[in-house]
Amino acid sequence: MKVEENDRAVHGLLEEEHRRCKDILQSLLDKMKEYPKGSLNVRKKYYKDNVYHYHYLVSREGGAVVNRHVPEEKLPLVREHMKQREKYQKEIQSYRKRIAYLERLLKIPKLQRSRDKHSS
Amino acid sequence: MPIFQEIYHATYVLKTLDVDFAVHVAHSNSCLRADLEQIITSLGFVDYVSAGGVQKFSSGGYEVEFIAHRKGSRNDDAMQVREWNIVAQPLPLISLLLDFSEEALLDDFIIRYPVPEAFFIHKLIVAQKRRSPAKQSKDLEQCAVLMNILRDDPLLHIMESVRLGRGTKGHLRTSCTALNFPLHRLGL
Repeated sequence: MKVEENDRAVHGLLEEEHRRCKDILQSLLDKMKEYPKGSLNVRKKYYKDNVYHYHYLVSREGGAVVNRHVPEEKLPLVREHMKQREKYQKEIQSYRKRIAYLERLLKIPKLQRSRDKHSS
Repeated sequence: MPIFQEIYHATYVLKTLDVDFAVHVAHSNSCLRADLEQIITSLGFVDYVSAGGVQKFSSGGYEVEFIAHRKGSRNDDAMQVREWNIVAQPLPLISLLLDFSEEALLDDFIIRYPVPEAFFIHKLIVAQKRRSPAKQSKDLEQCAVLMNILRDDPLLHIMESVRLGRGTKGHLRTSCTALNFPLHRLGL
């Protein structure tokens, strides 16, 4: 009886942790949207013995590859934002792993897991 | 609990990755004293805002947030602490933890933490306010661990110093009964 009671308490704590991780994941995903996605690409243009460098932010949008020009003066800021986005991605990855681990422990059916994933 | 384990040898096996810092601004002043947001993010943490509007920080699975004493009802919004550039979550009875605290040097850091007696009383009360049964049993388990290191004088001193309502005293009685903790040790 005692073991069963402890098991229920631990199960409850794991459920709490699972909920907490999912909430954090959602908040991190929301925050990450504030930063630009994609990678920086440099195009060189040759004109009258001069080389001009143009920076583009390359990303995928609905299957299409989109190149967005980044003005020279905004380059440091965009680089900083991209670094920030990388940090968020790393953190999101760790929470995804933890959620997957907790879902295995809690024996949440795969169907429900994917349903939750789509709803979030 | 890890601090009580280190200092008082109160063994508790469960560990949390959720680190809460209680804040209290004694002399409010709108000018910035220390930019905690900048300090914490420079340590590799990322910041985000939770659904409740509270600012939190996360790194390597650790979640850092700030809590403050709440005077009114549950509807209180997140509390802006301009002096430290953070947004704290107001929670009830946090002053109990702040008012009865002590300092210790752990791993070259000076840490201010509530005395075990204050933490115990706080947990006894909040356990009965919990909506989640799992959290309630976790609170009571922590109390059960702390029961072995409690000193009677500080317990009574805290109980005499704070003004508790009838409902709160009821919560204390319910928790004590669940733990078989003698009510007279709390002066009830």
